[in-house]
Amino acid sequence: MRTILLITRREFLSRVRGRAFVVSTAVILLVLVGYSLFVSSIAGGDSGTSTVAVAAETEAIAPALRTAADDQARIVRVLPVPDAAAGQALVASGEADAALSGPPTRPRVDVERSLGSGTGSIVSVATSLVAQQQLLPDPAAADAAVAAAEPVVVAARPEDPASGLRIGLGAFGAFLLFFSIQTYGAMVAQGVVEEKSSRVVELVLATVAPWQLLLGKVLGLGAVGLTQLVILGGVGLAVAGSAGLLVAGAGLTGTLVSVLTWYLIGFALYATIYAALGSLVSRQEDTQSVLTPVSIVVLIGFVAGFNLVLSAPTSTALAVLSLVPPWTPLILPARIALGDVPVWQVVLAYALTLAFTAGVLWLAGRIYARSVLRTGARVSWRDALTGR
Amino acid sequence: MLEVDGVSKRYGTVRALQDMTFAVRPGELFGFVGANGAGKTTTMRIVLGVLTADAGEVRLDGRPVDAARRRRIGYMPEERGLYPRMAVGEQLRYLAELHGLSAADARASAARWTERLGVATRVGDEVQKLSLGNQQRVQLAAALVHEPDVLVLDEPFSGLDPVAVDVMSAVLRERCDAGAPVVFSSHQLELVERLCDRVGIVRDGTMVVQGRVDELRAGNGGVVVHAPDAPAGWADTVPGVTASRAEHDRTVVTLAPGADDQALLHAALATGPVHEFTRTRPSLAELFREAMDHGEHAEGSAA
Repeated sequence: MRTILLITRREFLSRVRGRAFVVSTAVILLVLVGYSLFVSSIAGGDSGTSTVAVAAETEAIAPALRTAADDQARIVRVLPVPDAAAGQALVASGEADAALSGPPTRPRVDVERSLGSGTGSIVSVATSLVAQQQLLPDPAAADAAVAAAEPVVVAARPEDPASGLRIGLGAFGAFLLFFSIQTYGAMVAQGVVEEKSSRVVELVLATVAPWQLLLGKVLGLGAVGLTQLVILGGVGLAVAGSAGLLVAGAGLTGTLVSVLTWYLIGFALYATIYAALGSLVSRQEDTQSVLTPVSIVVLIGFVAGFNLVLSAPTSTALAVLSLVPPWTPLILPARIALGDVPVWQVVLAYALTLAFTAGVLWLAGRIYARSVLRTGARVSWRDALTGR
Repeated sequence: MLEVDGVSKRYGTVRALQDMTFAVRPGELFGFVGANGAGKTTTMRIVLGVLTADAGEVRLDGRPVDAARRRRIGYMPEERGLYPRMAVGEQLRYLAELHGLSAADARASAARWTERLGVATRVGDEVQKLSLGNQQRVQLAAALVHEPDVLVLDEPFSGLDPVAVDVMSAVLRERCDAGAPVVFSSHQLELVERLCDRVGIVRDGTMVVQGRVDELRAGNGGVVVHAPDAPAGWADTVPGVTASRAEHDRTVVTLAPGADDQALLHAALATGPVHEFTRTRPSLAELFREAMDHGEHAEGSAA
């Protein structure tokens, strides 16, 4: 036990003290901040075209909508409909952003989730314009009418105020998991190859068993990754908190717990695979070529999962991806952050991933023990699996 | 006492070791010699548990070597290696602690050995920044830093400058005098001859000759005779002579073990004046060559 702790401590200290750790932490922080600024700038400028269904009794607002849109350099398409129900149907089918009905100075605005900022300002300006025009001769009355004129927004499925935060947390968690597994997993492989190429492994293995060395390495680098994860997560939450983005009831605690739990499982899984792959080669130059196939699997899972979390968080595709063992640690925490993952899926994900990881640990441990002392040419898979 | 008993090892179809057997007693310096590929490194790796034997056993003080006992061995692998980016002192402390020393003992021991081996001023430097010679000294310190009870050193003298060879020899002798069994391999036969109490010569994975250096050299003696008037082949008929050859104006005669050299002296005197009559002891290098030659003859006759 002390042996493993010694190895873990060496791995941890030799990495955390290095400049690479500090630099990479700073770089990721920059990337994350930059990315969130980028996303929020896109979200702020929605498409520029609004489609509004207008019921017959509200028809008088149509010219005002166009005027208001012109003033704001936006385009509005007005779809005349016979009544409020027809407008609501268009909104439900997604053909219209909003449906207006009732009196033009105080229209009811039906929307699916919320009124977007662009459409919203057109509608409220248009309402004021209609009020002004109707009462033009009497300025005093007009002022009062304008003040009273405002749209009443009715959402069919009111938006969860925390959903933005949930998506953000999910995407943030997925990115951190991907980054940590990829970076520190690859570092485990590098460490294995360094020990092989410097031949120090023989000296160490004269004292400790291969599994102890492997376990110590994985734990040590896992702890480095965890340290970085906590720093990045802490800074991320502090920034979000100071910007007033943290809303109570967004499942923050649950998300943090699941990100950390799945980091540990995912790291154990991939770091062991990377260590076994690293033990097949003796030169640092060859490391990349043996790691690439697994890196691609990680990358596919991350890219597919990350995009689905942002674009189709409730899709079946995302649910399926999140249950495939090598990808579960990358994707499931993001889904948990989004909320509404059925309990059975979580249980199934744990069962599948833990079983898969146990199998991988066993196999990778064998490969490592057989290959780590063989220097020179790349060890073939056959030798690694069947040699003595 | 370190015993290697009947150890065999195959790599695929290649036989690396066949019934390798020898013992090193406490306080004994054992030299392990043999051609490249004879099985010296494989034997040492098996002693350290880095490789597993197909058959046979390695015992320390009469009991099979396990992980705990193995930690009491100081090892210098043939393939030298340390963590290149780790500072010398830190590295030695780490290795000492891996072998079971407490942090305080490891610190004291690392300081003592770096001082002793002349690298004390470099303890804060990364190993990769040291010269090759200094890296070798650190490597030796790494083998000694946990105060081992047994030393197993694979080619400890290769790549050392003469001063370092002296330091290394002194350290080996000292550990030996302190009661540790010490075994090392080397191609520098004069050094082995000078330093070791006993030697073992390995050929094709088997120990072919082993014994005290002086005993090995005493057997199979030869005699150099300077009898200027003697005719060619004068010694061939003398009882106990197995071979003779002329070397310049001297005759080099090989006697069968236990043969009476006085008969040879009488025969020489019968040919005229004898200016020189010297018993020679073969050097380790000659013994080594002879052992290798026997192997080739044996292989030739088997084929």
